Amino acid sequence: MNAETLAPLRLALVGNPNCGKTALFNQLTGSRQKVANYAGVTVERKEGRLRGPSGRSYAVLDLPGAYSLNAASLDEAVARDVIRGCYPGEAAPDALVCVMDATNLRLHLRFALELRELGKPMIVAVNMMDAARRRGIGIDLVELERLLGVPVVETVAVRRHGARALVERIERMAEALHAPTQRLGKGADLHAETRRLLAATVRMPARTARIDDALDRWLLHPLFGLLALAMVMFLIFQAVYAWATPLMDLIDAGTAWLGETVGAVLPEGPLSSLLVDGIIAGVGGVIVFLPQILILFAFILALEESGYLPRAAFLLDRMMASAGLSGRSFIPLLSSFACAIPGIMATRSIQDPRDRLATILVAPLMTCSARLPVYALLIGAFIPQKTVWGVFNRQGLVLFGLYAAGVASALLVSWVMKQWRRDKGEHALLLELPSYRVPHARDLLIGLWERAMIFLKRVGGIILALTVLLWVLLYFPNGGADVTQSLAGRIGQALSVVFAPVGFNWQICIALIPGLAAREVAVSSLATVYALSTADDTAAAQALAPLINDGWSLATALSLLVWYIYAPMCISTLATIKRETNSWKQMAGATGYLFALAYAAAFATYQVAVLLGAG
Amino acid sequence: MSASLLLQYVVIALAVIVSAWVVAKKQFPGGVRRLRMALAIPMLREGRPAWLRTLGRKIASQVRSGAGGCGGCRKCD
Repeated sequence: MNAETLAPLRLALVGNPNCGKTALFNQLTGSRQKVANYAGVTVERKEGRLRGPSGRSYAVLDLPGAYSLNAASLDEAVARDVIRGCYPGEAAPDALVCVMDATNLRLHLRFALELRELGKPMIVAVNMMDAARRRGIGIDLVELERLLGVPVVETVAVRRHGARALVERIERMAEALHAPTQRLGKGADLHAETRRLLAATVRMPARTARIDDALDRWLLHPLFGLLALAMVMFLIFQAVYAWATPLMDLIDAGTAWLGETVGAVLPEGPLSSLLVDGIIAGVGGVIVFLPQILILFAFILALEESGYLPRAAFLLDRMMASAGLSGRSFIPLLSSFACAIPGIMATRSIQDPRDRLATILVAPLMTCSARLPVYALLIGAFIPQKTVWGVFNRQGLVLFGLYAAGVASALLVSWVMKQWRRDKGEHALLLELPSYRVPHARDLLIGLWERAMIFLKRVGGIILALTVLLWVLLYFPNGGADVTQSLAGRIGQALSVVFAPVGFNWQICIALIPGLAAREVAVSSLATVYALSTADDTAAAQALAPLINDGWSLATALSLLVWYIYAPMCISTLATIKRETNSWKQMAGATGYLFALAYAAAFATYQVAVLLGAG
Repeated sequence: MSASLLLQYVVIALAVIVSAWVVAKKQFPGGVRRLRMALAIPMLREGRPAWLRTLGRKIASQVRSGAGGCGGCRKCD
């Protein structure tokens, strides 16, 4: 039978967390799944296709990392169930590819031995061999293969062609699947066997991680470590403003030119209004924030790659524990800076159900990237771009303050939850600290490209669609003559009764509704509302920031900024909370508390600002 | 109403239909799936013309399980 016509062999990539399974999966299948230098990035099984040189096809499964087949968390349970063939709707894999971190074989070999006991055909991929060599770690792969009784190959998953040897061994194995030739049998001491294998095959240098130790002495210091963390975060937000402005001005000018050109070419009428006041003003108002989003993510991706983030989790563990969370909550909460949905899903790596629920409920308080356009718009319109203390950008300081306020609110909410629950015990944090690594430019660029694509797809998809729908509601029934009498205008005015105490006008109230689907739509909605409201075409073509600066008080702007710290309006996040907790009650509770918090904080901000003369 | 204005309204109507569909698919994937199934099943009944059954199969084939949840950010795909 021809190799190309054979049914695809199912291979499962298994191993301890952070050994490079996903990087290897991306190499083998050409996928672009997220990789980072910390444990718990993959919480679900992923599948991709590999075509070997013989033409044979393989279904490759990337599984969440697990330390043992005795699962201690939800993601480990997913890995165990898939390996054993008990995962619903998933056939058992035909063979296992056990991925091990060459720099940490003491930990990884134990799991490899446990997997070997299953008796399934298996290949061991000793990954990160380049890092091991740099540190002077010598591994006798031939001897390891003889003692383990399964094929052993070296891989460098982050390097092009770094998995070639693995593909060759997979092809050879596919010709005739064999169970491992060595087994330990029941009751064997896996730790003793691991020690025996290490002694026979691994040569460790006297000092393996001098750089790691030196860096950790400072970066894990209780005082200097926290100072360094605060400094890093602070610099990121400074850079977001300092570096993005030229590109943003360029996009802004491009959007204005496009609006004027299209307006001049098309005859006056509804279609021209839809394109100029609706699509170009609305979508252009959001797309202008792409440079800021990319700069923020460049830093986050670099930190992920460097191995610094688990250290930050370690540093913050005490503070998080006193607030009712654990250091394990750090990574899910950090993921929530991109979007609360993957953050909430990442809580599957938290073993304790109580900690997991607390993390899920506070994850929406982390400032997701969708909120950045709203912050940037309001800060740009109301906070003058001045230098503070000779160095710092004032707009960057305000942005840092908003992100910090989100984090502080999350800690406060989880502390309140801790006071309510009966079990006030804290769980010790056990976390694997990876080696420091210089981020790879290729991975960073791929990460940024994907981030840009996610943003642009949102702009071209849900944001564009909602902008069109909102334009219709603003244009009809009176042909855009008086926006206050349009369908959306009437809805906005009805809602403004509820939101008047927090200082929101009817235009803001309109923007809040489509913002339920995606928070950035609030910006495009405001752009469309103001473009249609402005009789002067030149004024309509200019950027949104000066328009709202003229029309709003500082108190209203501050109130809206504070509203968006809590912003309960994201249907997708609420749906994910329902799915992950399997409880309507938890979802309703999260919606209720976020809305109450947003309203109370915005109300307090507005009233205080008015009292201080900013109204 | 002039022909030019009528054409503009037709284009706008199409844009609105497509936009409403995009929003529904992103925000209410479960509802859209059920709607597709409800539309496809009568088309696939015995005795229906071949073209209608082909159309029904086309509608039904795009209905996949587990489509919901993400609703826009696509980070979790």
